[in-house]
Amino acid sequence: MTILAFILAGTLAAATPLLLAALGELIAERAGVLNLGLEGMMALGAAVGFVVAYTTHSHVLGFAAASVAGIALSLVFATLALGFMANQVAAGLAIGVLGLGLSSLIGKPLESQTLDAPGKLAIPVLADLPVIGPLFEQDVVVYLTFGLAVVIWAVLNHSKLGLIIRAVGENPHAARAIGFRVLRIRLAAVAFGGAMAGMAGAYASTIYTPLWADGMIAGRGWIAVALVVFGTWAAGRIVFGALLFGALSLGGLIAQAAGVALPSQLLASLPYAVTIVMLAVISSNRRRMRLNTVASLGQPFAG
Amino acid sequence: MSLNRRTFLKSTLAASTALALPVPAFADDVLNVALIVPSPAADVGWSHTLELGTKALEAKYGDKVKVTLLENIAEGPDADRIMNKTAADGTTFLILGSFGYMEGGLKLAKSRPDMSILHASGYKTAPNFSPFGARYYQGTYLMGMAAAALTKSKKLGCVGAFAIPELITSINAFTLGAQSVDPAIEVSVVWVNSWFDPASEQQAAKALISQGVDVIFSNAQDTPSVIQTAEEAGVYAFNLNSSMKTYAPTKYLGVVGTDWAPYFLQSVEAHLAGTFAGASAWLSMAEKCVFVTDWNPDIPADIVAKIIETEAAIESGAFSPFTGPITNQDGAEQVAAGVTLGDDMILSMDWHVKGVTTPLPK
Repeated sequence: MTILAFILAGTLAAATPLLLAALGELIAERAGVLNLGLEGMMALGAAVGFVVAYTTHSHVLGFAAASVAGIALSLVFATLALGFMANQVAAGLAIGVLGLGLSSLIGKPLESQTLDAPGKLAIPVLADLPVIGPLFEQDVVVYLTFGLAVVIWAVLNHSKLGLIIRAVGENPHAARAIGFRVLRIRLAAVAFGGAMAGMAGAYASTIYTPLWADGMIAGRGWIAVALVVFGTWAAGRIVFGALLFGALSLGGLIAQAAGVALPSQLLASLPYAVTIVMLAVISSNRRRMRLNTVASLGQPFAG
Repeated sequence: MSLNRRTFLKSTLAASTALALPVPAFADDVLNVALIVPSPAADVGWSHTLELGTKALEAKYGDKVKVTLLENIAEGPDADRIMNKTAADGTTFLILGSFGYMEGGLKLAKSRPDMSILHASGYKTAPNFSPFGARYYQGTYLMGMAAAALTKSKKLGCVGAFAIPELITSINAFTLGAQSVDPAIEVSVVWVNSWFDPASEQQAAKALISQGVDVIFSNAQDTPSVIQTAEEAGVYAFNLNSSMKTYAPTKYLGVVGTDWAPYFLQSVEAHLAGTFAGASAWLSMAEKCVFVTDWNPDIPADIVAKIIETEAAIESGAFSPFTGPITNQDGAEQVAAGVTLGDDMILSMDWHVKGVTTPLPK
């Protein structure tokens, strides 16, 4: 494995859990619901996914269970935020803490156990290309995630369903007036976000680092939340942000190993700083920013 | 008995709602020992070795000692509250398993002279408060010798948690050990700036491997993240504290293990006899605290013989890894020929030896 191959192949895999969680959050936020519990939902998904994959020896079952766990936790959030019209920020934070607690409880019996990661899938022809070949030698979830990003972009921007989701997020009262069931649509969007966050966690614990260790999500849920906001709720920019973040975090490690005379603390903070600055610059067009910002984000809606 | 933070909190809550009940009386002849650790106690790692140390107490004293494990306790005010609570509940012998418990533990020690407290990796001492640590560098020197014999690229690597003296010392000794076999060896270091982030640790290991490193030192990781990655990539790796051989059946270089049982036993004995005196304990191979084992069968026999010989010399005190001449990264002489660094110099080490290619973060 050369350095370039490591960065190319590694970036996609490093971006995958962030992207899975961020795409789910994108749908929820586009529908007007801010769910800050992403970190907790990812942690719960990671624990449940690991426990199920460990006991059944099936990664598919692990992912399925993790998405169910993510949905379950997101429904608790929905009960508070949509059902009781609680403050979404507070409810999301509470769910985040709950998810982290549940994950350490569920994962406890398997602390520090490991799994075999599924093999990589090389795409014929493309994987043999010079230089960029390593991009096409990934586990199947990486391909699916990037495929899903395209699907979500297409649905949001070019389908009736996307229009409905956006209408509910932009102006729930108008959407309601023309006959859409705002709360139901928001509930579905939140549940989708939960499923995606759960799978993001499962990817982290069963494929990317195939082991269970309490606290292993280590803030990645928060990065996903930030990607959605700084990517101004546009799928393409979120993908760009996730890739940039992945590439920079690997680049920092490479630079350290190569003996670059920069403090490791600076290199470690680079991905955060650069990703935020880049996304802020890209989205700095005021008019576009106003158009993109979800108008009713975080506001409760009395159905 | 094993408690985690949550069940502990629950019992705390239950206890406080039952205020009207008399405080449970503890039989005079039972010693209540509590061990507080920052991470979840698993089958491997730092917390696990401390837990094994307390198991030796149970094995020796049987019913006369009751050990309570309080795991996953974050450093900070929460830890202070929990250690005060366990003291109020009758614990008189307390083992604090992390540097960050120092101030809270010291305060408790001053208010409770009847208690004896052991504190991992600290530097403050009180009459009933003893900091303790292990001389990992003695073992990492030997690992360096083995690594030098196995590397083909002459590039070794280290995934480190934080650039603090304890970890820097281990890396320097590792480098010196390797150079004692092959002076051309170079060592790259990647600091992940976290005690706990398996995904970053694994990425760091891969980054090292991508640059041709073929033996990796997993420096202070509590999970098999690095070891597992190394096995997958077909490079050798070793770690500290407890063996992770099962995670890397073919490429496990060995372990620099720690056995706290002798120290814990001796301290409890002193506590019971009323002779416990606070003192810093930096435990070594001679005290049977630091040991090396689970060597990879790939290590050539002549190197194995040399390692055994060096191990005996370190254990007897005839040899210290930090014996001059030692040159630092800038090429300046740091330790003169024939001079052996004193403990205070090793404990505050903030420079890398020549051969470590990564600059030290300031």
